[in-house]
Amino acid sequence: MSDLIHQLGIDWRLFLSQAANFLLLLVVLRIFAYKPILRILEERRKKIQEGLAKAEEADQKLAEVNVIAVHKMKEADQKALDMLRQTEIKAKEFEAELLLQAKQKEAELLKNAEMIIAGKAEEAREEIHKNAVSFVKSVLVKTVEMDPKAIDEKLIAEAAKKKLS
Amino acid sequence: MSAGQETPIKEMPTETGLSAETQTTQVEHEGGGPHISLKAEPIFHIGSFAVTNSLILATLILVLFSSIAIFARKKIKIIPGKLQNVFEFFLEFILDMMDSVLGDRRKSEKYLPLIATIFIFVMFSNWFGLLPGVGSIMFYGEETAPLLRAPSADLNFTLALAVVTVLTVNLLGAFAIGAFRYAGKFLNFSNPINFFVGIIELVSEGARMISFSFRLFGNIFAGEVLLAIVGFLAPYLVPLPFLFLEVFVGAIQALIFSMLALVFVAIAITDHHGPEDAKHEPAH
Repeated sequence: MSDLIHQLGIDWRLFLSQAANFLLLLVVLRIFAYKPILRILEERRKKIQEGLAKAEEADQKLAEVNVIAVHKMKEADQKALDMLRQTEIKAKEFEAELLLQAKQKEAELLKNAEMIIAGKAEEAREEIHKNAVSFVKSVLVKTVEMDPKAIDEKLIAEAAKKKLS
Repeated sequence: MSAGQETPIKEMPTETGLSAETQTTQVEHEGGGPHISLKAEPIFHIGSFAVTNSLILATLILVLFSSIAIFARKKIKIIPGKLQNVFEFFLEFILDMMDSVLGDRRKSEKYLPLIATIFIFVMFSNWFGLLPGVGSIMFYGEETAPLLRAPSADLNFTLALAVVTVLTVNLLGAFAIGAFRYAGKFLNFSNPINFFVGIIELVSEGARMISFSFRLFGNIFAGEVLLAIVGFLAPYLVPLPFLFLEVFVGAIQALIFSMLALVFVAIAITDHHGPEDAKHEPAH
């Protein structure tokens, strides 16, 4: 048996050296290669899972936001329609009010204009009266110049009034 | 050795001056024939310890891979580089293979160092033997021998690997299901049949070591012999297909070694007692 072992070159020291080599490589690779790589793989797997979960969450939120946006748009449309309707009503009311005010103003203006016209007419009448008086006076003066004392002033005034009216 | 001569492993006349053991395991051809030796040759001595050419190459592989691992350690990032990508691909391949046997990724990750290291060490030990210079650069010391030799072509290497693997598998089994329960696999006194089965199990552990070591050694050594003879008979182009074959054989042998180790781990960590017994077991 020992001869066979010797023939095959088996030597306990070489055997132990080779075993030590293997164990050393096992330890070194475990510490410096397998553990960090497995940790990185796990970390990457977690990050990918997180990323996928977040993407799914984002999709859900986006869908929810879309639903909310559609709802809000409908609400906004409804509000806009309401506002338009109200504005239309208000505008009609305002238009009616404005028309009323315009009519009132118109009436007032007409009244004022009539008053002004009346005033002006009075003024004109007075002016004419004055002018007539002075005219009559001047006529009378002219007449008096001819024979002033013969002319009765009172009669002249009455005559002038009659003429004017 | 020239073509047509007898097998190289044979008794040589004593006039060669070599020791009797060496004569039976080594044939050296003064006429320039291939150098074939069953056992690894000593290159130098540290005290009485003879450092062989296979041990030198095994140590070189150890240093190379340890250096790569240590220097690459700081460069491991979440976004992998080229080297990290290759290593991750390799680890994923091993893990997927382990998953198919163990059926659980956590278990696969737990036993990954043993299986992956066996695979790497065996495969590169096989492949390094095919590199130019290994086996062809001769060292002229007390014996004329190649300076480097494939570690797998040395029985000390394969036996060491087999013994370490079988012992580790048993230790892992003991840790996984409990030392006493695991020992019960070999020492079962419940009835004579179980006792006999236990003895067979014990013997099979020894047989595993032998089959592990001799399978790998036989394949790689045979490949080396084949390449040496083919290279000697037809040095140009003809050895090329054989080299490719040996590259393939090297990978396959590493895969076989690691897969068998994996299967033995799977068997060892599985509690073969009934479900009633398994209920009382702690979770691992």
